[in-house]
Amino acid sequence: MNGFTIATPAQVLAIDVRLPDLDYAAMAPMLVLFGAACLGVLVDAFAPRQSRHTIQFALSFIALTVALLAVIREARVGSRELTADVALAIDGPTLFLQGTLAVLGIVALLLVGERALEKGGPFVSQAAIPVGSEADRRQAREEGATEVFPLTLFALSGMMLFVAANDLLTMFVALEVFSLPLYLLCALARRRRLVSQEAALKYFLLGAFASAFFIFGMALLYGFAGTVSFGGIHDAALLATTSPLLLFTGLAMVAVGLLFKIAAVPFHVWTPDVYQGAPTSVTAFMAACTKVAAFGGLLRVLYVAFDRARWDIEPVIGTIAILTMLVGAILAVTQTDIKRLLAYSSIANAGYLLVGALAFSKEGLSSAMFYLAAYGFTVIAAFAVITLVRDDDGEATHLSRWAGLGREAPLVAGVFTFLMLAFAGIPLTSGFTSKFAVFGAALGVGEAWPVALVIVGVVTSMILAFPYLRVVVMMWLSEPAEQSPTVAIPGAFTSAALMVGVLATLLLGVFPSPVLDLADRAAEFIR
Amino acid sequence: MEPGYYVVLAAVLFTIGAVGVLIRRNAIVLFMCIELMLNAGNLALVTFSRINGTLDGQIMAFFVMVVAAAEVVIGLAIIMSIFRTRRSASVDDANLLKY
Amino acid sequence: MHASAYEVLASAASGTLSSFWLLIVIPAASGGILLLLGRRADRWGHLLGCASVGVAFVLGLVYFFQLGGLPATDRRATLDLFTFIQVAALKVDFGLLFDPLSAVFVLLITGVGFLIHVYAVGYMADDPKRRTFFAYFNIFVAAMLLLVLGNNYVMLYIGWEGVGLASYLLISFWYTRPSAATAGKKAFIMNRVGDAGLAIAIFVMFANLHTVSYDGVFANVDRFTSGTTLALGLLLLIGACGKSGQFPLQAWLPDAMEGPTPVSALIHAATMVTAGVYLIARSNPIFDANPTAQAVVAAVGAVTLLIGCIIGCAKDDIKRVLAWSTVSQIGYMFLGVGLGGGAYALAIIHLLAHGFFKAGLFLGAGSVMHAMNDQVDIRRFGGLWKYMKITWITFGVGWLAIIGIPPLSGFFSKEPIIAEAFDRPGWAGWVLGFAALLGAGLTAFYMTRLFVLTFHGPERWTDDIKHPHESPPVMTVPLMLLAIGSAAAGALMATPVQDWLNPTVFGVEGGEVPEHVHLSHTVVTILSIAITVLGGLLGWWLFRNGTSLQEQPAGPVVTAARKNLYGDTVNETVFEKPGTYLTRALVYFDNKGIDGLVNGLAAAVGGGSGRLRRAQTGFVRSYALSMLGGALLVAVAFLVVRLG
Repeated sequence: MNGFTIATPAQVLAIDVRLPDLDYAAMAPMLVLFGAACLGVLVDAFAPRQSRHTIQFALSFIALTVALLAVIREARVGSRELTADVALAIDGPTLFLQGTLAVLGIVALLLVGERALEKGGPFVSQAAIPVGSEADRRQAREEGATEVFPLTLFALSGMMLFVAANDLLTMFVALEVFSLPLYLLCALARRRRLVSQEAALKYFLLGAFASAFFIFGMALLYGFAGTVSFGGIHDAALLATTSPLLLFTGLAMVAVGLLFKIAAVPFHVWTPDVYQGAPTSVTAFMAACTKVAAFGGLLRVLYVAFDRARWDIEPVIGTIAILTMLVGAILAVTQTDIKRLLAYSSIANAGYLLVGALAFSKEGLSSAMFYLAAYGFTVIAAFAVITLVRDDDGEATHLSRWAGLGREAPLVAGVFTFLMLAFAGIPLTSGFTSKFAVFGAALGVGEAWPVALVIVGVVTSMILAFPYLRVVVMMWLSEPAEQSPTVAIPGAFTSAALMVGVLATLLLGVFPSPVLDLADRAAEFIR
Repeated sequence: MEPGYYVVLAAVLFTIGAVGVLIRRNAIVLFMCIELMLNAGNLALVTFSRINGTLDGQIMAFFVMVVAAAEVVIGLAIIMSIFRTRRSASVDDANLLKY
Repeated sequence: MHASAYEVLASAASGTLSSFWLLIVIPAASGGILLLLGRRADRWGHLLGCASVGVAFVLGLVYFFQLGGLPATDRRATLDLFTFIQVAALKVDFGLLFDPLSAVFVLLITGVGFLIHVYAVGYMADDPKRRTFFAYFNIFVAAMLLLVLGNNYVMLYIGWEGVGLASYLLISFWYTRPSAATAGKKAFIMNRVGDAGLAIAIFVMFANLHTVSYDGVFANVDRFTSGTTLALGLLLLIGACGKSGQFPLQAWLPDAMEGPTPVSALIHAATMVTAGVYLIARSNPIFDANPTAQAVVAAVGAVTLLIGCIIGCAKDDIKRVLAWSTVSQIGYMFLGVGLGGGAYALAIIHLLAHGFFKAGLFLGAGSVMHAMNDQVDIRRFGGLWKYMKITWITFGVGWLAIIGIPPLSGFFSKEPIIAEAFDRPGWAGWVLGFAALLGAGLTAFYMTRLFVLTFHGPERWTDDIKHPHESPPVMTVPLMLLAIGSAAAGALMATPVQDWLNPTVFGVEGGEVPEHVHLSHTVVTILSIAITVLGGLLGWWLFRNGTSLQEQPAGPVVTAARKNLYGDTVNETVFEKPGTYLTRALVYFDNKGIDGLVNGLAAAVGGGSGRLRRAQTGFVRSYALSMLGGALLVAVAFLVVRLG
């Protein structure tokens, strides 16, 4: 440890501490959401019970719309700046991803707020009441919790902060701000609450475990660079006077924290269990928005802080990407639960996104951002369909229950077929254009690693098409099961969410250019 | 005393915590092991703060503590609610979701 | 010819030609309308479906003549509708190309497609879902037109997936039998293997050239290393084999016959399965640049055409015999495109002729099945010529055409391919030539068997059939038109079609006199006619009295003889047994070897999946272990990469 110079306490104390300038306009989207979430907590405490749901939904919807408008305004102004000293970066990717988060958040909110499918909504009013007790039977007839709205808003504000975070500490705080509400949301299912609680417990313990790695990695990088801002780490890596041991161990541990959130192998283990156990609308929210936020953060870390270490990162994260695609695709083949199947598909999709990210080019960045937006819409719509297929016991998620659905409800089955085709990457759906963009960007680099990744990507997407098509065949060709589930008539909210998701999947497949252009223009980080 | 030793100590604490997560069954103990890992991170931050001669590390340690406290609140809530139903704090009993 | 000779010719479409995008839009719009309107369109849906394809055909003719009116070097029109995808250096336009090769395919797809649509009006008359059927049919036609009209590989790929999807839907949606589901599954897996080949090929092109347009790729073929052209050629070949049912991915095609007969005729005989031939013909500069890749294509064609013929001899299901004959005829086309040079055009002409006679044969088979209560076993037919004269005659024309009796089309299109095969230098010429010749003889044999067993000999019907009847005119008129087409398509050889295809598409000067390496053209002609007649006569002589109702290869000879009501023991022992063993071996190989490989692949994935699933134990601590292990590995890997 001879490389270190030791400062005396007097020197330490002599450092001048000033409050940094804050650009409130640039931070408006996050502030609006955070404020609305706090307001939501107050509403839950003081508003009369019967009007809470309406007020909360309206509040959340308005807050998200305002946040979206604030993002758009900021994008039109064209601001590219670091604010709050260097803690936040307001640049193209930040604004694109924040906009995506706001839109996907609105769509997911529609699912969270749906109450037409089940009396009182998909959430239970007091999750702490033991399952099966007398009190539990009583509350089964009551209105569901309205805390879900502020929790969703807290999560979204954390996600928006996460994609804008320009140093590891802000990133860590944002990570926790968006993770903690998600842990709670997972535990709130009205039906099958044991499973729901188990999902929350697993998600929480593993999430906290991953956060610990992130913190320790942050500490090591701080030791290496003397700062945790991405620009500082970038500069320190350039000088390389200190030990690369600290740099790479730190990078590895920070990467663990991020790869956990994006569900890359071998840090994916929580995904299937949590996706299956959580209430479906929460799963939809996680699948779309968490993926956007986590990838936004990962892209920034890789592109801003560690682009000098690109040659060292590529083989390691490349191997992880290959494993992620393979494990996701192969395990999806034998799944029997539709939510689990989509969980594995989301794992494989994380692999495809990593292929784009590892291009380390402007195109890689823009195509990955496009992919995130396109995938988000499709996955929300797919989970929205799952909320519709129900029996007496809630949602019927076992695949065998979906047999013959095409005859019972051709429209719903048709929509789901379209979404499955989109996942399978059939042309004229967003699944094709986004995969094509990502693979194209990776190949544009013209090096060995990206080519290998693309080949694995193509092969696994062919494997992955099989489970999707199996669902389609199941729905249209199999005889209906003995007691086939009924397909609930979607309420206005679910219908709207479905419509937006399906339309976006179609439009981004046929006319992807405007959004691709947008992503392309946004694809530049500032340091 | 050589500050490098504190980094080593932090690493040892982190490892103890990580191993504890793997070998303990009780959800509360398991959670405390995670807290130990977080605090190992804090120790490392403070040590590096001293080594680098900047205050940042110490401030960061405060942030981590606050976040960890919030995490405890959430974590205990989840563990409590599952304990009430199952009458068991063993994480191995929560095993409905698999394969 | 070397690929670098490829020139980017005059393009931008003008005049009437600038609207050739209508070709795709009209059927697609019609399909969309039929799906969207739902039951409201039930009464007239089929008419709209037919009309849209008919209009597309007329338009196709107009554009065709427009194109023909241009000077030979300008016969080419492109349209860039909008930029489809733009990432990095990769820019993919939603662009179309109308050139002689596309034009020929457009006419085949819309022309034959129209007749099959009309026929389907009658065939599907009793089906409550006829409107949906026509909607899918229209969408299929639109996708197929997109496939042949695209001006870059991504457009081709979109059409490629589109036709695959439409065919998968059409096989699966109409038949709820488990066998149909299995067939759909097999078709799906094999097509995915092919699609993966094509997709990777496209990415390889992009990685090397940063473009996927035909012009961009072909103009720069000489910038590829020879390894790259070989890889590209083989990847494209895998794609083509998957779609066209060629060795080793042939097994799905006959199984796909589970769908309704018009589907078999349109998709699995006349159009979709020729997409592979189109792909290779279109990519000819790549194949020309690498003789090895070409040789592999030719070899695949030769092997497939023999497999198809031999298995065709063993099948008793009328549609499966026709399906295997499709496999074998496409083998001829692959052989043609694999030979390169002038043979490209020959393959395309054979494809055209095949489109006519095979569609006619399938529709004829449908007509027979219609009369026989959907019986498909040819051992249960016989003597039908008295009852359904039109079907008999039109089927007969198709039969003579496919086996290559002059002056019908099959002769003019197949015989030159055989001759070209013999013209290949060295031992390859002998092997390919004899394979093609032998194939011609076998084709004559099994097609004659099919024809004789169906229409002649004693009546061996099942008891429920009293009076077989001819099909309604809406079905027979297309049959007649297709028969005329199959008879006349050979006349194409007398026209400058070959030259029409050659100079603009392939850069080969027409009228190139091939040197006859092994046998002179006359000798080949005489040989091929002789072997055809021989095969036909043998087929007629063996089956003139009908056949056993038993599974022919089953049991020892005595049992077969005792139970044999109509068959001839001697015939069976002397002529059929050796052939039977050969075919059984091939069928076995086909089932165990190739299917085994495909199934094995699927089983490996499935098994691996099943085993890996167990790792997801549900215990949170084992998850934590996996994460900790992963973290250690990542850290160690970084340090190894960095310091090692």
